[in-house]
Amino acid sequence: MGTGKIILTSSFTRGIIGQAVFAALGIAFINVIRAALGLEATLEPGVVFGALISVIGFLLGAGVFTDWIKWIGGQKTPLRHGTPAGKPEWSRYLNVDYNHKVIGIQYGITSVIILLVGGIFAITFRLELAQPGMQFLDNDAYNTLFSGHGIVMIASILLGVGAMVNYLVPLMIGAPDMAFPRLNAFSYWVAVPSAILILAGMAVGGWDTGWVAYPPLSLRAPLGVQLFLLGFYMNGFSSIAGAINLLVTVATMRAKGMSLFRMPIFVWAAIATALIQFTATQTVGVSLTMAVAERVIGLNFFDPVGGGNPLLYQHLFWFYSHPVVYVFVLPGLGVISELLPVFSRKPLFGYKWIALSSLGIALLGFLVWAHHMFVAGMPNSLRYAFMLSTMFVAIPTGVKFFSWVGTMWEGKLSFETPMLFVLGAISVFLIGGVTGPILANVPTDLHLHDTYWIVGHFHATMFGGFIFPFFAALYYWFPKITGRMYKESLGKLHFWLMTPAFWVMSLGQMSAGIMGMRRRIADYDPALGVANTQMLVTIAGLVIGWSVLIMVYNLVSSARSQEMAAMNPWRSRSPEWQIPSPVPEFNYDVPFEVVGDPYDYGLSDSEYIRMMPAPSGD
Amino acid sequence: MSAATAHHDEAHGHEPSYAQQTKSNRLGLWLFFFSELFLFGALFAARFALWGNTRPELSQVLGLIVTSILLVSGYFMYRAEVAIAHDDRKTFLSSLLAAAFLGIVFFVGVVILEWNVFGLELNAFGVEWFGRLKPRDGVYGGVFFAMTGMHALHVLSGVILILFVWNNGRKGHFSPEQHWGVEATALYWHYVDVIWVFFYPALYLIGHLA
Amino acid sequence: MNKQKHYYAVAGLVVIGTIVSYIFLQAIYPLPKAASAEAKTIDFMFDVYFGLIAFMFALIMAFILYASFVFRRQPDDTEDAAHIHGNTTLEIIWTVLPVILVIGLGVWGALEFRGLVSAKENEMVINVTGQQWSWSFEYPEQEDIVSAQLFLPVNRPIVLKMNSEDVLHSFWVPEFRVKQDLVPGYEQELRFEPTVIGRYKVRCAEICGKDHTTMLADVQVVSESDFAAWVEERSARPAYADLTPVERGELWYNAATGDWAGCVGCHSVDGAVRAGPTWLDIYGRTETLTDGATLTVDDTYIRQSIQEPNAQIVEGFNPNIMPQDYVERFTAVQAEILADEGVEIDIIADLIAFMQTLEE
Ligand code: HEA
Ligand code: HEA
Ligand code: CUA
Ligand SMILES: [Cu+2]
Repeated sequence: MGTGKIILTSSFTRGIIGQAVFAALGIAFINVIRAALGLEATLEPGVVFGALISVIGFLLGAGVFTDWIKWIGGQKTPLRHGTPAGKPEWSRYLNVDYNHKVIGIQYGITSVIILLVGGIFAITFRLELAQPGMQFLDNDAYNTLFSGHGIVMIASILLGVGAMVNYLVPLMIGAPDMAFPRLNAFSYWVAVPSAILILAGMAVGGWDTGWVAYPPLSLRAPLGVQLFLLGFYMNGFSSIAGAINLLVTVATMRAKGMSLFRMPIFVWAAIATALIQFTATQTVGVSLTMAVAERVIGLNFFDPVGGGNPLLYQHLFWFYSHPVVYVFVLPGLGVISELLPVFSRKPLFGYKWIALSSLGIALLGFLVWAHHMFVAGMPNSLRYAFMLSTMFVAIPTGVKFFSWVGTMWEGKLSFETPMLFVLGAISVFLIGGVTGPILANVPTDLHLHDTYWIVGHFHATMFGGFIFPFFAALYYWFPKITGRMYKESLGKLHFWLMTPAFWVMSLGQMSAGIMGMRRRIADYDPALGVANTQMLVTIAGLVIGWSVLIMVYNLVSSARSQEMAAMNPWRSRSPEWQIPSPVPEFNYDVPFEVVGDPYDYGLSDSEYIRMMPAPSGD
Repeated sequence: MSAATAHHDEAHGHEPSYAQQTKSNRLGLWLFFFSELFLFGALFAARFALWGNTRPELSQVLGLIVTSILLVSGYFMYRAEVAIAHDDRKTFLSSLLAAAFLGIVFFVGVVILEWNVFGLELNAFGVEWFGRLKPRDGVYGGVFFAMTGMHALHVLSGVILILFVWNNGRKGHFSPEQHWGVEATALYWHYVDVIWVFFYPALYLIGHLA
Repeated sequence: MNKQKHYYAVAGLVVIGTIVSYIFLQAIYPLPKAASAEAKTIDFMFDVYFGLIAFMFALIMAFILYASFVFRRQPDDTEDAAHIHGNTTLEIIWTVLPVILVIGLGVWGALEFRGLVSAKENEMVINVTGQQWSWSFEYPEQEDIVSAQLFLPVNRPIVLKMNSEDVLHSFWVPEFRVKQDLVPGYEQELRFEPTVIGRYKVRCAEICGKDHTTMLADVQVVSESDFAAWVEERSARPAYADLTPVERGELWYNAATGDWAGCVGCHSVDGAVRAGPTWLDIYGRTETLTDGATLTVDDTYIRQSIQEPNAQIVEGFNPNIMPQDYVERFTAVQAEILADEGVEIDIIADLIAFMQTLEE
């Protein structure tokens, strides 16, 4: 089959066609009904309904539902395995596939693509901000760009988390796949039309509410906000289904002997992440649907004109959106904990403490949401309570930092690219973290709220807690995924460009904020004295952008090279490194049994896993 | 790997056994329920945030009737599950139909009577049979339609599930040993029932009339 | 090197690192001028927190950098390092110490915060209204003056009672440090006491739609006597009959009287673009409209723009920004003046006369 034909008949193409067809049908349907009822023609209800069912259209077109529909009819369907006959290996990645590694890679590639899209938005509005005065954007374009940047980047993170969790967890616990492979495919594929909806929202007029979409503004914003709300909402299905799948997988499919405290530490991070995702996501879903319903059918929740309360939205929104920042970072911190022992040749210091601190962060994360609302008009009693609870998050996070130091101390450190990114992650996340309590402290937050200090704080936490560790993971597991080695020199170049640039960007943002620069403004007062800082931040953003492109080039070109990597280039003890790369279809041909602790570096003849003798009868 | 799966080919050898898969399914379903608790909890919280200690004027009789119908349907669902476990196919199928029927009655009761989508009016036996609250009636309309709507959506999907199960059951698909589909549908149906047991007082009973 | 030495070296690094970071932080994070009593309290907290940030950062980074340089692996060394699992005592220490620290910080923050928000003696109430995208200030204790600028007497505790007409906004003057959102339908309070005479700006800090960027208002903190003079000037109703149309036009522009926010809220006289076109050189100017047509600004156009603000919108600006009820309000004021002074006044004509004087 020719390349063109494979692409044209792939799930991607069929999904997009399905989405377009269903969107058109939805719009037509509503307008026909409205016409029949004698209502005037308006755009919005049709668009909302069309958007809603367009996601179903995508999934139907892509073939995500095929097996389930057969089940409903009472048919049994065998799980499809391997590359379909007569098609090249790469075609699997464009089609619905049930293998967790394929899905993990699909997540990962989509995540990087979306990261580039969000980065282009950032670069665009950063160029506008480089100097005071309006240069080439108007207010509307600026607002749409930064709002889109925020949500697209968050979508990219969620996809990246999905990539790491999906690819790694079954391998690490010795499972052949996730517990529900079809649900797993659904989790990935539903994120695609959601992302398309969000981007479509930017195209049809955009919106001016930021990624938080506070009413009443979001109730009046342009049409684009509807697609944004719906896209954000649909993406929630991905998180919920993925998280449940992960929890069941870990609960039921661990290899023999793998007790909870013998799992690779990343699995703990994945569990903590899933606990947040499968619960909190529901509440943001409620807040988003309420906003959609208030706009299209006039149900009143938030608009004070009808008696509603704008703060209710903020509570429901942050009840998810605070915990979700720990969804962003916990897997990343798990990667740090996973890699440090390997590159330090020393056991992970305080394994149990690190494992439990992930749970601690996840659970504490549910008690702090209103720290985003210190000036929103809450009663003072709540401000005290949330100030204290927020500060407590520093403790489990601190435990991780101190334990990492303990791991490195007196180790034998080497500095290949993944390790560099791990160290970069620690330093960047540290500055992001320690700029948190000053926000938790209400008196100082009165000044800092909604300034660029916040922007600096969260770029540091998200880069340190996600972007850096994600890049570390990409480099580290690249030989596992592709069987080939990336180019070390380009990897180092990426690191040494990105890290200093990031420091300039983040410190610059915080500096501008403290001097009085508000967030979400298209233009700033030269009298604040932040113009030079803004210029620096823009330049730094460009450097980060170029460095990411270097990584993309490095990984793509290395994946196509012929040279094979060593089987276990990092001399890791983790189970996934004991089998060939790329990993065979069913991971472990022979099941393994856990007979020791995962990070016993330096303990002579200690074993972590032992491959069991081949089952008889084959 | 047990002897029962030994005859499967290479690929199938990696698929878990029915018992194994059912164990996972069961856990997954309960996690899903826990997850949905946050959905309904958020609506619940919205109700208390926006209504406080008040409630809209709703027909008490109507509320009581639809609630009882839903609970009775739960009984039939339970009977269906017991029946299939004892391989009593006749009771199994008829109970399913009864449960689905009552579910539909509940749904219709909410949509036609309580929501009054056709804008009717009937006063008989001293009872107002059609609700007067409209979606645009401020926060009362908003919360009432959001909570009943979200719940009705679950009832509707439950009814559809039951009908699928019935259809497959009719074709002889379930057995006393292997009927995860029935178990899951029953659990789901009971779950949706229980949610209503909390929604009903929140909407109809708590607080004084606004 | 023996083990002790490593620890001494790192301890030294932590001390140096803390000092350097602290100085660095102070240098790159200069707070704006402190112009309120609250700013003193808050700035002190900033200093302490900067110290904490510097210390925590230096503590971790000193260990990590030191380890990276001193414990690097030799290229030919394939042995693993020492097998050290962890240390429960240490883990407990670095859990418990921060617990104490954060409880202390929380309690301190709560105490200071209570001071900031508690009611003060001799407070002056000012009602603040925010709307897309302008501010208006009303002085209930000063005969209900309405102003588009915030005039404040120095060293007098102020309490703002804030309402929004449409969406969320947020009142923030960086020099005062404090901030509070405006929530439509729910009155919010904000307390502060300006302590330094000068000019500042209210900067709306909550995204409120298209022109959030330009939702600014001037703040003037003046001496008590200047404030009294301003109040007098604003509240003593001038004898309109004695004023020239141009003088009256300027009054209407600034909303020295009448119960509307002045045109100054959205139109500058110095060429700056606010929510509406500037009035500098407006009379006789050629404007391009949103539908592409061009016209020359004359009496008819100005009149129409006030009576029906949405009829013809100049390119680059938005409909529905300008209140649509100026005609009613003007009519009411004109009737009042007719009753008081017996003169017939045409406010729009006054404004046109004023505009004609605004040439570069
Ligand atoms: C990955 C994301 C991430 C992470 C991990 C964090 C972590 C933290 N965040 Fe952050 N935050 C965001 C992302 C994140 N945040 C985002 C996106 C926003 C803005 C949203 C928006 O409005 O758009 C935000 C906004 C935000 C606010 C609201 C500010 C405002 O709008 O007014 C606050 C207030 O309390 C806050 C606090 C904290 C705290 C206390 C932590 C803590 O978890 C940090 C804990 C870590 C440490 C403290 C460092 C290590 C610890 C030690 C070395 C031990 C000892 C240290 C001490 C005792 C201090 N954050
Ligand atoms: C993971 C999350 C993430 C990431 C990676 C980034 C990355 C970047 N962010 Fe982002 N940002 C957010 C999440 C993120 N941001 C969020 C949530 C908000 C809040 C939105 C809101 O207020 O609602 C925000 C807001 C935000 C603002 C505040 C806007 C405002 O309030 O007005 C700014 C301003 O400087 C900014 C800048 C940048 C820059 C320069 C980068 C750079 O690092 C980007 C680097 C670029 C790439 C990684 C892509 C690779 C580059 C290319 C493909 C193009 C290369 C081309 C050239 C170099 C010419 N971001
Ligand atoms: Cu008003 Cu921003
Ligand atoms: Cu938060």
